[in-house]
Amino acid sequence: MPYIAELEKAGIPTVVVDLEDQHNMVKQEALAQGVPNVRFLPASRTLPGPEDVDALVAPMLEALTKPLTKKEKEKGVYAPPQPRILFEGTLNEAETFYQQTDWVPHPLNAPISRYADGYPVVIPTEERVREMLTGTSHSPDEVITCKADRLGIRGNRKKGDAVPFQPMNWTATVEKVATIAVMSGCKPEYFPVVLAIAESGCPIESTHSLGQWVCVSGPIAKEIQMNSGLGLLGCGNPANITIGRSYQLMARNLGGAIMGINRMPSLSSPFTHGTACAENADGLPPGWKGLNEESGFKKDESVVSVFNVADGIRGVQHSPGGYRALQKSGHGGMARRLGVKGIPGPHNWLEHIVPDFWGGREGPKTIIMVPEMAKHLYEYGFKTKEAVYEWLWKQSFMTVEQYKKFSWVDLTTNGWMGIEATSGKHWKELPDDYMVPAAGPNPSGFCIIVGGGDEEVSEQMSGRRGGENAVYSVDAWR
Amino acid sequence: MAEKDKVYKCLNPVGIQASVDTFPLAPRLDTLDGKNIYFSITGEPDITIALEKKLKMDYPDVNWQTKKTYGIDPMRLSEEEMKTADGLIQAVCW
Repeated sequence: MPYIAELEKAGIPTVVVDLEDQHNMVKQEALAQGVPNVRFLPASRTLPGPEDVDALVAPMLEALTKPLTKKEKEKGVYAPPQPRILFEGTLNEAETFYQQTDWVPHPLNAPISRYADGYPVVIPTEERVREMLTGTSHSPDEVITCKADRLGIRGNRKKGDAVPFQPMNWTATVEKVATIAVMSGCKPEYFPVVLAIAESGCPIESTHSLGQWVCVSGPIAKEIQMNSGLGLLGCGNPANITIGRSYQLMARNLGGAIMGINRMPSLSSPFTHGTACAENADGLPPGWKGLNEESGFKKDESVVSVFNVADGIRGVQHSPGGYRALQKSGHGGMARRLGVKGIPGPHNWLEHIVPDFWGGREGPKTIIMVPEMAKHLYEYGFKTKEAVYEWLWKQSFMTVEQYKKFSWVDLTTNGWMGIEATSGKHWKELPDDYMVPAAGPNPSGFCIIVGGGDEEVSEQMSGRRGGENAVYSVDAWR
Repeated sequence: MAEKDKVYKCLNPVGIQASVDTFPLAPRLDTLDGKNIYFSITGEPDITIALEKKLKMDYPDVNWQTKKTYGIDPMRLSEEEMKTADGLIQAVCW
């Protein structure tokens, strides 16, 4: 939309075609870009292209030629009121106020919370927000800015730049974030983690990806008693739950993200209820770095990593008992699959799950594994996480013919007009039997998180790890 | 005063929105004939291939120009092209 706005402001008439359910999003973005009356035509999701085109052409050309209406000729300033105090009343009245909903029409057709995530919130009274602010040395009116240079999906940002929250590119102060930390149920000692998450701008999912979650690494995880053990992605731990929730309340309030208006995941996922956990640094095998060290921070520095989940969790692919049989004595189905029948471990159990990794979707993976399974990989021979990433990446190689059958590759190769990264050649020059990696141009997209309980399980998720650009210092916000 | 009747000031969690200067749309064209109209293609080939074909076939007097990418970020007009562009159709994306 910035491009369309630029053209209209330069005197070049435009018309935009997008899928019919995106209308509200187009309108909202057009207003944000200063051209609220952009002419928009809806395309069908289901009609065959030629039929859709027959219906589109006449109004499309009319949109370029029909004289402007009075409203379309208007200029002005859009400046919504932004009071610091949003509500004044009793706590009961405030609870009703903060639980307000707005009806969101098709494709949602249900009410959506105006300030919350659907659950009741802790009312952000001045007193409570003031107490939350004791959790940081930063002043309430300080704008949330980048603490390091960032490569963002919506452009690069320099250290010191104000963080634009997704999707509306609004900004925030420390006090705004404290308000949301209160609403989420956080304690003041959690607040530096919430501020570090705020520095991410709280990106939201696209129409098809499924959600976000965060993982804390470094000493603060223990300081605030986060759960990195059994059930780390589940319920029950106040720090995990409320910090995870704060991400989504920031997206809603600081980013202006409204499900069904400008946040359009067709199915979405439980991740958008807010999910946070900590990695188990004590469970890392010798030589395996934590998420903090992997991202250039020191072991005693605390960070938070923000993950986008492209396709949900790929659940446990083996029975824990079968896993133990594999490693203890080489018995059972896993041992048969790996060809190690009767041979005690350590075995590379990743061989059991890798064959289906790229069955449906290309791209790197994030793998969560319990400490015992990480230890087995170490004993097998992977002395670093990087060695595992390299191995996984090599397993992803397949022929160009196979690779062409994925769905996203038309987009990522720009219709096969782009350059294949490992060969440096144009995609169209490569023969069908040429081997290319399904996991991306290099191994760095993979991520391993060690945590969880004693039962031998691992879960995997698709989605590129954001690397250092999606890792935020918590210490910078203490 | 009972605790339940105590009045509290509650803070606003909504992000800070910079005021936006809003602009009128560009004046529309009196005719498309002889004009440089750019067709900026972003995705959905089922629609855009048929659309490009139909536009060129049914409106031969328009000087159609095409900018094409399979991604969601449009191929932008160059500064030179901006000087001669009379209109632009963006499809299917915004």
